Amino acid sequence: MENPRVWRGRSQPRGSEGLSSGYEQLDRHLPGGGWPQEALTEILIGQYGIGELQLLMPALASLCVEDSDADHIEPGWIAWVAPPFQPYPPALQKWGINLSRLLIVRPRNDSEVLWSAEQALSSGTCAAVLLWPPALDDQASRRLQLAAEKGRSWAVAFRPLTARSEPSAAALRIELSAGSRGTRLSILKSRGGSPAVLHDVV
Amino acid sequence: MARVRQSPIIAWDSAPAPDAAAQQYALPLAQTGHAPTPTSVTAAKARRLWFCIYLPNLPLEACGPGDKALAVIEEQQGVHRVLLAGEHARAAGVLPGQSPNAALALLPTLRLEERSVIREQQVLELLATWLEQFSSFVSIAGPDVLLLEIAGSLRLFDGLQSLRQQIAAGLEAQGFAASLAIAPTPLAATWLARGRRRACIREPANVMAALRKLPLHCLDWPPAATESLRGMGVTNIGDCLRLPREGFARRFGVKRLLQLDRALGRLPDPRNSWRAPERFCADFEMTEEQNDRELLLAICRELLLAHEKFLLARQLGTQRLLFTFFHLKAKATSLPLGGAQANRAADHWFGLLRLRFEQLNLPEPVIAIRLRGGSTQALHTESGRLAFHGKAPREQYYSMTQLAEQLAARIGNESVHGVTAVADHRPQYAWSARDLFATKAADVLIRIRYGLKRPLWMLPEPALLAMHDGHPLHQGKLRFVEGPERLETGWWDEDGIARDYYTAMNPAGVGLWVFRNRNYRRDGQRDSEAAWYLHGIFG
Repeated sequence: MENPRVWRGRSQPRGSEGLSSGYEQLDRHLPGGGWPQEALTEILIGQYGIGELQLLMPALASLCVEDSDADHIEPGWIAWVAPPFQPYPPALQKWGINLSRLLIVRPRNDSEVLWSAEQALSSGTCAAVLLWPPALDDQASRRLQLAAEKGRSWAVAFRPLTARSEPSAAALRIELSAGSRGTRLSILKSRGGSPAVLHDVV
Repeated sequence: MARVRQSPIIAWDSAPAPDAAAQQYALPLAQTGHAPTPTSVTAAKARRLWFCIYLPNLPLEACGPGDKALAVIEEQQGVHRVLLAGEHARAAGVLPGQSPNAALALLPTLRLEERSVIREQQVLELLATWLEQFSSFVSIAGPDVLLLEIAGSLRLFDGLQSLRQQIAAGLEAQGFAASLAIAPTPLAATWLARGRRRACIREPANVMAALRKLPLHCLDWPPAATESLRGMGVTNIGDCLRLPREGFARRFGVKRLLQLDRALGRLPDPRNSWRAPERFCADFEMTEEQNDRELLLAICRELLLAHEKFLLARQLGTQRLLFTFFHLKAKATSLPLGGAQANRAADHWFGLLRLRFEQLNLPEPVIAIRLRGGSTQALHTESGRLAFHGKAPREQYYSMTQLAEQLAARIGNESVHGVTAVADHRPQYAWSARDLFATKAADVLIRIRYGLKRPLWMLPEPALLAMHDGHPLHQGKLRFVEGPERLETGWWDEDGIARDYYTAMNPAGVGLWVFRNRNYRRDGQRDSEAAWYLHGIFG
C-alpha cells in the first residue's frame, strides 16, 4: 500500500496546506486542515446573510494581517467583486480585517464581473478574491481556477442553490443553509476530501 | 598657443564684432583683425562636437546587402541612367551615367533597380535608430547624411577614437560604406564628410583651416551657383570666404552666406533630434504569393522577433498587436492579438498567434504580412526578494496600483475603490470610500475598536419593512434577539438621527439589523404603528 503508484482516494493534492478557517469543526473536514489555497471555492447560499461572510472572516483576517517578523512581505489584498450590499467597515474591523487592504470592485455588467475577478486573481497582489457572479459556467469556473493558481490567490465565488447541479471546476463546494440553532454546512465536493454535513458551524 | 585655448572662438582671422546681426552682411566673409563674435555663439557654454556620417552609396545599399552585380538607375530628364553601380558591375565597366542597355551589354547578369527615395529614407531611419545607442542626439540632416552630437558620449565610449571605431565597425558590418567626419559645427562636419576628408577637428579654432581647401561640390549647393562661382575663379571654400559679404549675399543669396557663417561657428545652428517611433510597424513582402501556413507562421515569428528587439531597446511592452495579411486579389485579412498584461517576448506572442492562426480563414494566398504594435507601456519589473523563513512571497505580476488602473480603465474610475472607517457613531457615516489612486491617507490607519455588534453587510439605504399586526416582517415574523441600542443626534451636520436598533432573526435564520425612529410621537402615531427599517444583514 505504500507504493506511490497506488492511488489512494483520500490522499492530499500536491501537499498543499490549507488556510485555517478559524472553525475547528470545519478544519477537521477539509483536506489540508483548512480552505484550499490557490484554488476556487464555491459557496452556495439560498439567500444573503445566512452566515457566509462570518464563515470566511477569520481566514480573511489572517490573510491581511501585517506580520512584524516579515515586514518586507506586504500583506495581500482582499478584493470584493460585485458584492450585493456594502461591506461594512466597522464590522470588518471588528473581525480583524485590515481595511487598508480592501479593494471593492463594482463592475457594470455580467461579463465584467468575471473579467475583473480574473484580473485580480492573476495579478498576484490579491490574497483572496470574493466574487458574486451572476452566472458561472464550467468554462468560467475553470478560468477562475487557473487564474487563482497563477496568482497564488484564493477565489471564493458565492452562488445560488440552483447552481448545485451545474458542473464546476472548483476545488471545494460548500452549501450553507439555516439549521435549528446555527448555520448548517454541507461539503458537496472537496478535492482530496470527502462530502460531509456539519451542523451549527457559525 | 595658450591664448588660443582660452578663447578659441576669436582665434581665427576675422572681423570686428558687430552688435546687430543685420550688420553682418556688410562684413567681408573673412578679415584679419578681431573676432566678429555674435554673442550667441560664444555664450554656448557646452561645447558641441558633431559626428557626421555621409552615405554616398545609399541608393545602392538601400536595395539590400549582398548583391554586388547590381546597378541603381534613375530617371534624369526623361531618360534612365545608371546612378550607381555595385562592385562587380564596376569591375565589368558599368559606370554612372550609362544607359541601362549599355550597362546590360557590359554585364548581362546585372540586376537593375529603380531608385526609391522612400526606401532610402526608411534605411536612414533604421540607421538613426541604431545610432541612438551612441548619442542621445541623432539627427537626419539630409537624404544621405546623419549627424550625431557626441560631446556628451565621449567619456562613456572611452574617447573619440574608440567611439569612431565602434560606429565605423557597426556601419561596415551592416554593409554601409560611409565617410565620417568630426567637427565642432554640424555643417562643417557635413562638408568635411562630403569631401571624404577623414577629418577630426575638436577645436573650433581649427575649423577655418580645415574648410578652406574643401572644393565647392562638398557644399551641396545648386549646380548653377557652383558653376557661377567657378566662373569667378572660386574653386574652394577658402576662396568663397575671401569674397565681400554684401556682394556674395546679393549674388548667391543670404541663405548661403548664413550657411558659411554657421559652418564656421559664427552663428548658432540648431538641429532637430531624431526620435524613433514609439510604435512598431514592419512589413514583410514576398516575391510570390504563399499558401504554406507553416511558412507564414515562420515569417510572423521573424516579425515578432524584430518587434521584441524594438521594444527591448525602449524597455517597453505592449498589450496589443495587429497582424495584417495582404492578398493580391482580396481584401486584407487582419488578425488582432491582445493580452491581459503588457509583454514583449516574441515567444509569448507567438504562442498566442499560433492559437489564433489555426482558426484564421485566409481567402487567398498571402503576398505580404504587416505587424503593427499597439500602444506601448513600461514593463513592470520586480526586484527579487530574500525569503529566509516562512512562506515564499507570492509572485507579483503587477502592483496593486496597476491592477486598480487596469480595472478602472475598463469598468470606470468610480467602480473601483477602497474603504476606510470613520469615527462617527451614526452607522451610515461610520465608513467612507477611499480613492486607491490617492496617496496613502492617514485616516486609513485609524483603528476604531468596536465593542458593539455591527452587521457585515450594510444596505445602501434603510429599507422599509412590511408590518403585520404591529410586528415587522421579513420573510415572516421577526424574532428579536438583542436591543434596543439607542443611537442619537448629529445636530452638527443637520442629519441627526434618533433610532433604536435591534438585532433580529428572520424565520430563514438570517440575522438582521433593524431600527425604528424614536421621534414618531411627533407625528401623532401610536407606538405600535412606528415604521421599522432594515439597515444591515449580519452575513
